[in-house]
Amino acid sequence: MRLDEKVAIVTGGAGGIGRGIVKVLAQRGANVVIADVDLNGAKEAAAEAETLGRESLAVQTDVSDVRSTDGMIANTLSVFGRVDILVNNAGLGGAPEWWTRDEATEGDWDAVYAVNVQGIVHSIESVQDTMMNRMSGKIVNIASIAGRGGSAGPLAHYAASKAAAVNVSQAYALRLAPFNINVNCICPGLIWTPLWEKISKLHIGRDTDEESKTPREYFEERVQRSVPLGREQTPEDIGKLAVFLCSVRARNITGQAINVDGGIYFS
Amino acid sequence: MLNDRLAVITGAATGIGRAIGMILASEGADIVIADLDEEAANRTAGEIGEKGVETMAIVADVRNPRTLKKMADAVRDRFGKIDILVNNAGVAGAPGWYEHPESREEDWLACYEVNLKGIVHTVSAVAPVMKEQRRGKIVNIASIAGREGRPALPHYSASKAAVINYTQSLALELAPFNVNVNAVCPGLLWTPMWEQVGQRYAQINPSYEGLESREVFDRMIADIIPLGREQTPGDIGDCVAFLVSDDAENITGQAINVDGGAFLR
Repeated sequence: MRLDEKVAIVTGGAGGIGRGIVKVLAQRGANVVIADVDLNGAKEAAAEAETLGRESLAVQTDVSDVRSTDGMIANTLSVFGRVDILVNNAGLGGAPEWWTRDEATEGDWDAVYAVNVQGIVHSIESVQDTMMNRMSGKIVNIASIAGRGGSAGPLAHYAASKAAAVNVSQAYALRLAPFNINVNCICPGLIWTPLWEKISKLHIGRDTDEESKTPREYFEERVQRSVPLGREQTPEDIGKLAVFLCSVRARNITGQAINVDGGIYFS
Repeated sequence: MLNDRLAVITGAATGIGRAIGMILASEGADIVIADLDEEAANRTAGEIGEKGVETMAIVADVRNPRTLKKMADAVRDRFGKIDILVNNAGVAGAPGWYEHPESREEDWLACYEVNLKGIVHTVSAVAPVMKEQRRGKIVNIASIAGREGRPALPHYSASKAAVINYTQSLALELAPFNVNVNAVCPGLLWTPMWEQVGQRYAQINPSYEGLESREVFDRMIADIIPLGREQTPGDIGDCVAFLVSDDAENITGQAINVDGGAFLR
């Protein structure tokens, strides 16, 4: 599956899952805009895309601020003249140092809402005019299997924000369908990223039975215990599904949330 | 993307099954066309073969486990493996179902026998091969009708809901063997089956009274499909092609609606 010559924006594209999405999009032919709060990281990801033969652009962006996402789109349009694909991947687990807290604070709830939910809304609000004018566009939102069910643990705020991300995807799928814009959602499962390293630290810190483990060991045990296919998922897995959803082959798929989790969740 | 893969597709002689075969063949897969209709299966095998892949037409009845065992053996003899199984064979009721406003006992039985147990039987014949290979991809063709109960075709809807559910059980059962099992739920496609479905809607829904099937279909596209266009057999083939590719190696137990946004779960 190819996306040759398409212009794709990936928010949070400097690291973690976003970096994998950038890589796969570039491998499959797309020119990539990496929007991230971390400008140096974005530049590194852009350089990687260029080594794959694509044009790229790094734009410092804070998706919690709609002026910033407006700037992201304006920058992209001035360099590439259009936006074919928007991947809303930027996300976080809470306010700074959230992984050191046994219980989420008001600040943690607000932080995940601002980025994981409103960040998607801001980015779509910023991009929708240009896509609507062209009667063409593909939007993929990265949620999480955490959004598929409530969580009793210290990450209830994160789970709730990801459920909201799924819901927002449905709302925009319906709203933008008359303009031939597809909006879908991907729910990643267990992927070893800086975010999951922090989740491991959080659990290790809470449970004395786990305290001798490294974050990676905790993660691997979790994979063995909960993933039916018995293996971790990868950032590239998410990129590959994003490519499919943004390709002409998925032209009649919209409003869906698809789990990439080796069979943990079925809806 | 699917070079050197061998795909068995049930109900592949016509309609959605044939389109799936064409697309998987375009990706390089060799195709086994399993169907009740021998003549149509042979014709489709010839047409798919024009894409430069190996094809084989086999008469199989998904209601009859013996024919499926024979099919699996014949495929193994010739190709030595089965990489992909697409369970596409399906019916909307017993013959003539659409001429009756009510679902009859035989309509319930036909949908149960073909749409659900047909998959159970086919998997029983093919899964042992995949387990031995420690590798395989199964895609079941369900329907958006299985996403929610509806009055028009309750027997069909229930059988397709069962297919989605069985897809999940099977995904868990075969996951330890590195076999992915997923379902695709087609939306509104203009096929011979929908021509019949349109007749049923015209009978039971006053707002469609007196309309031809195609008129009912077009009205429903406008009424329930957010993207405002019909889906095609090619759309279903494209989704199947993704799910059976290496790109989807960590996706299992999922049911994906290809319906232009009609159903959001």
